[in-house]
Amino acid sequence: MATTLPYRPSNDSLSASDNRQTSGLPRLSPAASFIGRSPSSSHGSFRRTSTDHATSGFRPRRCKAQYPLDSPERHVEYILVASFHIDRGPIMEHQYPAAISGDESMLAELMLPDQTHVRSQDWTMFFLHKDTSGDEETDSAGGKNKRKRKSQYHGNQEGADIQDEIFDETSDDPDSSDDEGGEGPPLMYVLNLVNTKQDNTVRRGAVVKAMAICTRHSFLHIYKPLLLLALEDYFKSPFPETLASLYDAVNAMDLSLMPKMSILERHILQSSNTKDMFLEKFEQMIRQREEEELQDGECPPSPKKLSRYALPRDTHEYESKVVYNDIPIPVKIPTVIWPETVGDFSLIKLIQTGPFTHPVIVLVNAILTQKRVVFLGHNRPSGEVAEAVLAACALASGGILRGFTRHAFPYTDLSKIDDLLKVPGFIAGVTNPTFANHPEWWDVMCDLPTGRIKISSHVETAPVTEGLLFFQQQNSLLPNSASNTTHDPTGDTLFMEDILRSISQRHGENAVRAKWRAYITKFVRVAAAFEEAVYGASNLYIIGPGEELSPDSPTGHQTDASDPKTLRGHGYVWTDETAKQRELSASVSRIEGWRNTRSYYSYIQDIAAMYFPARPIQRPDIHHHHDRLRALKLSHSEAASIYLALSHSVKDYAGICQLLTVAPENQAGLFYISMGLFHPDQVVREATADLLDRIAIHPAGRHFWTHVGRFAKLGYIRVKRERDAAAQSPISGSGSPVPTSPGASFGGEPQSLVGVAMGGGSKRRS
Amino acid sequence: MGGQVSKMMGKIFGTKEMRILMLGLDAAGKTTILYKLKLSNQDVTTIPTVGFNVESVTYKNVKFNVWDVGGQDKIRPLWRHYYSGTQGLIFVVDSSDTARVEEARSELHKIINDREMKDALLLVFANKQDIPGHLSPEEVTQQLQLTKLKDKLWYVAPSVATDGTGIFEGLAWLSNNVKTQPQK
Repeated sequence: MATTLPYRPSNDSLSASDNRQTSGLPRLSPAASFIGRSPSSSHGSFRRTSTDHATSGFRPRRCKAQYPLDSPERHVEYILVASFHIDRGPIMEHQYPAAISGDESMLAELMLPDQTHVRSQDWTMFFLHKDTSGDEETDSAGGKNKRKRKSQYHGNQEGADIQDEIFDETSDDPDSSDDEGGEGPPLMYVLNLVNTKQDNTVRRGAVVKAMAICTRHSFLHIYKPLLLLALEDYFKSPFPETLASLYDAVNAMDLSLMPKMSILERHILQSSNTKDMFLEKFEQMIRQREEEELQDGECPPSPKKLSRYALPRDTHEYESKVVYNDIPIPVKIPTVIWPETVGDFSLIKLIQTGPFTHPVIVLVNAILTQKRVVFLGHNRPSGEVAEAVLAACALASGGILRGFTRHAFPYTDLSKIDDLLKVPGFIAGVTNPTFANHPEWWDVMCDLPTGRIKISSHVETAPVTEGLLFFQQQNSLLPNSASNTTHDPTGDTLFMEDILRSISQRHGENAVRAKWRAYITKFVRVAAAFEEAVYGASNLYIIGPGEELSPDSPTGHQTDASDPKTLRGHGYVWTDETAKQRELSASVSRIEGWRNTRSYYSYIQDIAAMYFPARPIQRPDIHHHHDRLRALKLSHSEAASIYLALSHSVKDYAGICQLLTVAPENQAGLFYISMGLFHPDQVVREATADLLDRIAIHPAGRHFWTHVGRFAKLGYIRVKRERDAAAQSPISGSGSPVPTSPGASFGGEPQSLVGVAMGGGSKRRS
Repeated sequence: MGGQVSKMMGKIFGTKEMRILMLGLDAAGKTTILYKLKLSNQDVTTIPTVGFNVESVTYKNVKFNVWDVGGQDKIRPLWRHYYSGTQGLIFVVDSSDTARVEEARSELHKIINDREMKDALLLVFANKQDIPGHLSPEEVTQQLQLTKLKDKLWYVAPSVATDGTGIFEGLAWLSNNVKTQPQK
């Protein structure tokens, strides 16, 4: 999907920095290449009212809804009811609004998990590979054989939608509207509730019924309270009308004021604990809605303060409600949704399952190398194994790699075993301990009650690969290779210690997820360095022109001292060549094991597809150079070239977002950048202050600036005073060169940043 | 660790472990037998088994790991996944359900003809001996065509699962006939 995208027109106003316009790289949204812009609306600011304040200067464009009101997609596509017939076993009773598939009995079996008769209630989840266009095939077993792709529903948007797309800097659609990318239509997620009711009036004493909701939204857990109510109702009135009233209620849920976020924005929001991060976007959604209503004359103009729409208390969640049988049920939708993040699992719970730290790394390695992984939870509710499977998918994905949920079976049983075994590499949840007696069915089994991980007796030893030979030769050349190998060459042990510390200090699920994201990001960067070292080139990194392959660590040569953009170096940063060799050599088997997997190939596709949305600044590699500031002891001149390059290249909204993603708050935030304020060279100090100026008025950056320490802020004020003294002019916030692109205007109003620097920024909106 | 120790103890004191699979048509009384074994003196009321039940019962120095698998015809094809490693098959017949005894015979022969079940002992419970009009154990033997079986150790035990009659007699036969298996 990523290779044949249309080229971005060179006059596109979205191209903020000059090198992008000439690079001729593919643009993401297929819309822009064939839809002309209407000149009158080329700048979204006509929608803005006088109440806008300075920070909104960053967002002159219309904010787009993640789930617009006029979307043809429904939140929930099907409601199903199955029961356990005492003579016939599992049967499907009703499907609404239509039959979902020809194989009813397969669905009914999934809806009535093993041992459901020993508990009164059980939740389960499973996925269907179903076409978006019709109701022909269903294939829960994950076989790709019968999948047909009809129309990509997000490919034929309405005209009005496309118009928005042009103003929308978050137009990274391949990522946000279809997380599954080119592997087929999005999965249908099924959330299922089963109840067993003892009833002496019926033959054999019990009634077992299950109700399921089928949705393409990955936040299916929000429907749990509704299923509880509706299944209870169905026991009383077992008719299609009960299904219909649930179907209508959930589809009437209004999520249209939930803003769509770009990949960089989602990254920043996830890594942040700030509850009002990107609140501006929510405000803008409400403002847009009120203006629309005003235009349509739907409601009388009301004073702004009496808005009918409430802002979220925490921008990580969007609050809405579903009215079922006149009962309003509050629901919270996560605003940051990554690929491979389905349901409400807990990484913390999964990590704490094992008695040692090591098993989690074994598990991640098994999933990364596409092994067959089974979670067994004997005597546990099937919902529990399903959550473990979903957590494991998210663990290996980190929100970065894909292809795990598509081959995951959150809950499955013996009846699906033949289909399961056709899938090369899967993650499955089962409650039937007979799976433990069949080591030929899996490579790795995680026993949830004990937390032990078993490697199958059938697993063969890893084949000898090119990378393995390469590092064997390398190591034999090193004189003291034996003493070189520390006990933790990959840093996994340290990493797990850090994770466990986070958990014990109650940093929360979000913090742990952000750390796993960082872990997988590192894995991919190390794999890129590995490929460059072993094969001379990597599929995992799009290398800039004139960039040196597999540079020795540390890097940082600058071909033209007067041009900060020529700062060289890319990828992961090691302190020295020995450390690099040691880590690469310790990672051979998992990197080599990963190189032939679905997630590896999807990632290569994603790099091409995400080239602009994820990396608006191509050169220099700001992640690499920020890492150098953090990890290395640099000379003054080396540090100077980094600060100058950052200040020179990080200018517009998206560029600042990109910088914030490599300097997350849980990893010292802007600390290493702010150290440029104390550089001996005045030019560097001022360039750093200019960069921080831009960050401080950026909607997300202002939160980061608030967290900068007092010491750095005093340094900032000193740099400002020095400059003012030199220029003998009053304090002015906009000392930087005015950006030329309309997308990057910095709210022109002069503003005293001293107030912001001293913490005034955080109070501005409260 | 603990498992290792108890296996050692088992070798020293002669405790045997036996994996038992209990099958039969739906409503034959499998789950009732299982829980009567497990909780000998209590009344047992059961509901249809969705999937399976598994319990460990120690009797006469033998630890029986008994698998009881649901019997509706649609889910019978799943039985084969439980065969591997099974040392004893308990096949439960509702002696009062004369209409379905032929169906029971056919299912039983399918099971014991499977390669993975060829070494398993066969215990048949002629269950529900308390219901009027039931077949006697001899009639059950005949109807199931057990005498045709070659190279098979089998035994038919009359039982009334609901009050526990005959259950432990059957188990005693299993424990007397199980070979000492080398433990893994």
